[in-house]
Amino acid sequence: MQSATRKKQATKVIVSSVTSKNQKHETLNFNGELYMKVDRRSFLGLGLGAVAGVAVSPVGLKLTDDSSIWTQNWPWTPVPVDGRVNYEKSVCSLCPGSCGISVRKIDNRPVKIEGLSDYPVNDGGACLHGIAGLQYLYDPARVKTPLKKNGDKFEKISWNDAIALIAEKLKGIRTEGTPEKLACITDKDQGSVSGLFRRLLETFGSSEFYTMPSLESYLELTASTFHGKGNTIAFDLENANFVLSFGAGIIEGWGSPVACFKANASRKERHAKLYQIEPRLSNTAANADKWIPVNPGTEADLALGLCAVILKNNLFDGSATINFMGGFNKFNAMLKRDYSLSKTAKITGIKASEIEKTAKMFAKAKKPVAVFGKGRGDGAQSLKELAAVHMLNCLVGNINKKGGVFVKPVSQYLNFPSQSMDRVADAGFGKNKTGSTVNQLFEKIDKSAQPLIEALFVYNANPGYNLHDSKRVKKTLDKIPFKVSFSSLLDETAMLCDIILPNHTFMERIEDVPSGAGFAKTVVGLSKPIIKPLLNTKHPGDSVILIAKALGGNVAKSFEWANYDQCLESVTSNIWSPLSKRGFVVISKGVPAYRPLVNVSFLAQNPATINAKGDYALTLIPIDNMRLINTGTASSPFAVKTVSDTVIKGKDIVVEINPLTAIGLKDKGFATLTTPLGKARVKININEGMMPGVIGMVRGLGHTFDNKYVSNIGVNINDLIGQVIEPGSGLDAAFGIKAKLVAA
Amino acid sequence: MDSALIPEGAKRCSLPKFSIGMAIVGAVLLWGVWAMFLCWFKGLNQTNMNDYYGFALWIWADLAVIAVGGGAFFTGMLRYIFNIKELKNIINFAVIIGFICYSSALLILAIDIGQPLRGWFIFWHANIHSMLTEVAFCLSCYFAVLTIEFIPNILENRQANKVPFFHHLAHNMHGIMVIFAATGAFLSFFHQGSLGGVAGVMYGRPFAVREGLLIWPWTFFLFTWSAAAYGPSFTLLVTKMTEVITGKKLVKDNVVHLLAKISGWMIVTYIIAKIIDTIYWAYVTAPSLGFKLSHFYTDNSFYGYWILITEIVICGIVPGAILVIKSTRENPTLRLVAIILGTIGVCLNRWVMVLQIMAVPVMPFDTWALYIPSWQEVATTVLPVAYGIMLIALAYRYLPVFPQEKELNSVKPITESE
Amino acid sequence: MTQDNHNNAYKFGMVIDLDKCTGCGSCMVSCMSENNVPFKEDESNKRDSITWMRVYKLTNGKSFPDTEIAYLPRPCQHCGGEGDHGHSPCVSVCPATATDYGYDTGIVSQIYTRCFGCRYCMGACPYHARYFNWWDPKWPEGMEKYLSPDVSPRMRGIVEKCSFCYHRYQAARDKAYYHGDKDHIKEEDYQTACTTACPSNAITFGDLNNPAHKVHQIVKPDPHPDPRNHHVVGKSRNPKVFRLLERLGTNPKVYYLSEREWVRKQGDHYLEGEWDKIKNHHGTTSHG
Repeated sequence: MQSATRKKQATKVIVSSVTSKNQKHETLNFNGELYMKVDRRSFLGLGLGAVAGVAVSPVGLKLTDDSSIWTQNWPWTPVPVDGRVNYEKSVCSLCPGSCGISVRKIDNRPVKIEGLSDYPVNDGGACLHGIAGLQYLYDPARVKTPLKKNGDKFEKISWNDAIALIAEKLKGIRTEGTPEKLACITDKDQGSVSGLFRRLLETFGSSEFYTMPSLESYLELTASTFHGKGNTIAFDLENANFVLSFGAGIIEGWGSPVACFKANASRKERHAKLYQIEPRLSNTAANADKWIPVNPGTEADLALGLCAVILKNNLFDGSATINFMGGFNKFNAMLKRDYSLSKTAKITGIKASEIEKTAKMFAKAKKPVAVFGKGRGDGAQSLKELAAVHMLNCLVGNINKKGGVFVKPVSQYLNFPSQSMDRVADAGFGKNKTGSTVNQLFEKIDKSAQPLIEALFVYNANPGYNLHDSKRVKKTLDKIPFKVSFSSLLDETAMLCDIILPNHTFMERIEDVPSGAGFAKTVVGLSKPIIKPLLNTKHPGDSVILIAKALGGNVAKSFEWANYDQCLESVTSNIWSPLSKRGFVVISKGVPAYRPLVNVSFLAQNPATINAKGDYALTLIPIDNMRLINTGTASSPFAVKTVSDTVIKGKDIVVEINPLTAIGLKDKGFATLTTPLGKARVKININEGMMPGVIGMVRGLGHTFDNKYVSNIGVNINDLIGQVIEPGSGLDAAFGIKAKLVAA
Repeated sequence: MDSALIPEGAKRCSLPKFSIGMAIVGAVLLWGVWAMFLCWFKGLNQTNMNDYYGFALWIWADLAVIAVGGGAFFTGMLRYIFNIKELKNIINFAVIIGFICYSSALLILAIDIGQPLRGWFIFWHANIHSMLTEVAFCLSCYFAVLTIEFIPNILENRQANKVPFFHHLAHNMHGIMVIFAATGAFLSFFHQGSLGGVAGVMYGRPFAVREGLLIWPWTFFLFTWSAAAYGPSFTLLVTKMTEVITGKKLVKDNVVHLLAKISGWMIVTYIIAKIIDTIYWAYVTAPSLGFKLSHFYTDNSFYGYWILITEIVICGIVPGAILVIKSTRENPTLRLVAIILGTIGVCLNRWVMVLQIMAVPVMPFDTWALYIPSWQEVATTVLPVAYGIMLIALAYRYLPVFPQEKELNSVKPITESE
Repeated sequence: MTQDNHNNAYKFGMVIDLDKCTGCGSCMVSCMSENNVPFKEDESNKRDSITWMRVYKLTNGKSFPDTEIAYLPRPCQHCGGEGDHGHSPCVSVCPATATDYGYDTGIVSQIYTRCFGCRYCMGACPYHARYFNWWDPKWPEGMEKYLSPDVSPRMRGIVEKCSFCYHRYQAARDKAYYHGDKDHIKEEDYQTACTTACPSNAITFGDLNNPAHKVHQIVKPDPHPDPRNHHVVGKSRNPKVFRLLERLGTNPKVYYLSEREWVRKQGDHYLEGEWDKIKNHHGTTSHG
């Protein structure tokens, strides 16, 4: 199927023609006796003869052939360069899944990303975003060089100048004795690069280190609420035989996506059941053995109602509950009072008999597990919901049992050398964090008249897009005088920053990539540079080290590595040898061999349920679609291409609504969606898979940066939903918002 | 000014008047040419075709002009092979219409294919199993035959005929025209048929597929038959239009009546065959594949049952009946109605056999596909019409197309002043 | 096609477990990336969007809360044509022999440099597996660097489709040749890009003629023509396995597997009452 032989030479054909009547006259004259009067007719005849002559000559055939060869080799259709095929192993860090990848290269040119066989997370499988990873590498919208904001435009700046500028600003803050006014937002707190950012903050004198809401952060919060600080939670989905999922999009990108896909697919052979509780017939719900539609935002109440049934019928694991601390009796009493079957049925919209049956099935299952984290698990959640669902696990005693929930300490495979603190650092670091979550941080900055934060680092995070009420978040960001973005793309947050230090993409850099997000094993993989950096970018670790060195003093002393490579090797020294040789290290696998304490005090206090804001009749909820990412960058062109026309049509976003609720609305018609925060023009998809009264809108669209393939499509749902902070946890717990939908 | 070129004894409008008319039509032609170049240089993204509508307006136009151009081969066959003398009075015109239709068809194909410069691969890498290969070969050959049939008429131009060589050539070509007519009839029979076969062999498309004889599905024969039936109607229609425009009677009534009668009987026999085919398809072929007739027609106003009724009853049985019955056939108004309906009928048949095939969903979870042509498609479809009008006008003005014109318009020869 | 292995020809095929398919889209992107499929600004018109592998969404048509969804990935079905004689709907109509049936592999090929874009094959294909290059393929500046030399990017004005990653077959054949057993390609050596990418392992690919291959074991193809329709050959003897539009006699080499009856029923058209008679009848009883 390769293109035919390339013929490069063009054939030029010169067709001689009789140029004038006079000339011909002469020629004929020359023939003497053949002389005849040349009239119009014989001229015509001669012309026709010439045409006929050319027609029968090979010239025409040659031209015909050449022109078709030309069409087979149009110079504007690229011809990929051939070369030696070779494969390199690495780890994908586009999402928390941390899958092993195998990159096919032609000489030094990566051409295809595939899942890496025998990698302990994904064993050969890959998700569409990872496979399309090369489109991020070659994205023409990447930031090509450090940028500095001047007015509302960005100017190119050298790395030296950019680092010097940042150091100068930070030194100013430190000189004023307010080092705690430097904050940092990243995607996660695991891994050496996040470690370097945190180290920079601490040695500088600030505890204002935040991560974006993520499943991992919810897992750690839930674990610390029940089992003490420093723990996290994992779900043994591949061994569980009854999965009760509270909206967890197990095949929509929840957790470590490929591992979840595999665990889910193996249900068929294992005869394991999946019950999916959520207002919408998601792919997970469709793939489940049973879909239980629930009123949006009442998942916590349902979980507590299920707990009540289990307790009432003595279906709990007595050997487990005997060690419960923090007021188990009080909890029990609260359930009896507030979560009777009829009350739960009323709140959740699920039949009492159904609730009872489900609770009994769950409790009687051999290896049950209840899973929280709606959608991809990184959206807004309340601690009440996380705790209520986890309480089901505690009640049936599946903690640290095969097919249950693994409670284990947060992996500490990194060992940073002790850091050097000076007086300023100690004082600053000793101060309380402004907020317990990034949401709370923004809320406080927004409400404060004083500048709470003077400088902000943003790495692998896009709060200006991903947090609820993103317009307000952007305004809040504007209140921070100096912001530095460590980003590969000019995303919504980077656009607001003063300095952009562009990163190598994951294809261009070395980094430790720990697994997480509820995956039962703990695996650290090594992401490797598959290709030399294409642009004038740096490893974010190197950027941090350079800033630290430029700051001098105790900060520089804490960053004595020559570069990130050296730093990585030293901080992972415990595992470096197997990590660099095999590409990954399994830190822990199998069932943790200890029995953690269970503290139910949080739930025993009966925390309030957070309800959707507003007075409209319908509820707008976010949809997580596997084919669209929501990590702050836009999805790749390939991924967007796969998205159904019932999600994106042209530049419009399509919302789902049940026909019973779609009064006055036409399928494929336009409508105006209104929430207390604003309006959006949307297309309608009338969908029987949607609970009546609910509008579903996909997350991950509506990016505003400059990329014609993936950006400026639809709206960002976070513009339409406002945050509601849960007291105590500080979490943004607003799952959805009240809305109305009127035909446009 | 151009009187020297005008057939002897014929009266024609003045050159300026003629030029203005030609300029108006020429403007339309240029619009079509512009669209044609857009399609060639920018590609078929200029159209509204898509992966469901790979065949669309153009292919319909292609099939339609070939069907109505079928008057040429059928009239030629009757004239030269069955030696029906009266038809010599309309054969020239039938040939010109055929020439226009077939040259248009070839042009449309050249625009329609994604790689026009490689179009000749159809001959070079020919797949003998493909109906389209058969179409391409027969179409090209028959176009050559039509050109040969057209040449004597061109050479009869007053000035051309003065050249002894041309005069003799034209005369001798008339003499051997029977061979070409026979070849043409044979070729035309095959490519009309293979155009029908194009749809009939698509066994992945239950709306299109038909059983048949040997390698030829029934649509093969139905297309040939319908072209032979409706083609003469179209020849009569264009003759009538030319007569109206020129304000002259050009063909004697007995010739018209004869051709109309032949057309009528052909339509009647064709429509009986078509009805049998439709019933067999609806009650045997489609159900054997799990399809009900309602699958092909309902749920959609554009492709409702009306299209079937219009094609078979209104544009089939009705014109057939009118043309078969002597009294109605010889009534000029009714005859006109019949030939108009007949022309619509055959065009509608080709529409159904091209576009409805594309529209009907085949996979159970697929949906109806509808399409609206882009202006570029409309313009390139109008292009052959404009070209046809111009060629007919030129031929009428400068060539002795209608042998009976002089006799029927016995005015004294007037030499226009230069 | 080589003469020497004609007698023990391969018949590559696929079976897709629709109960495992989650509609995640990995197969689609893996295919695009493997085969240099271009993309354009607006791909939301699915009728001009080149997706060799397209995932269709099926619903059972019931209303809330009884509605159900299944996903059906649709590569080229590599039809064997009526009676499985190699006259696929598309191959038999292509006027320029630009698409051909490989009797040694069962793969329907597409010769891009020969196709002149008449689109007859697209009309003939009931699965809409064929795509036309309405536009010149264009990659954003620099992105053409990821193009694979194994598959030629296609020019404007021609038809393209899934090739069962034919270049992977060629590589596997070369490997087999190198190891001295040129007629026996190992199952694991030839797997399509969609198969290897699927995170749910919903796709199984291999030689339908080889009883040792998983695809054969799942499908259990009936070597005899269907007694009720002699055009149909290779019907699965697994009652949970079906082919798309099997009754047309196209004889696809892509099979689908589902425990759900409503899903299986959507594989073809049935007149009233027909399904109940047909649904449990699979293949001839002879030849175990």
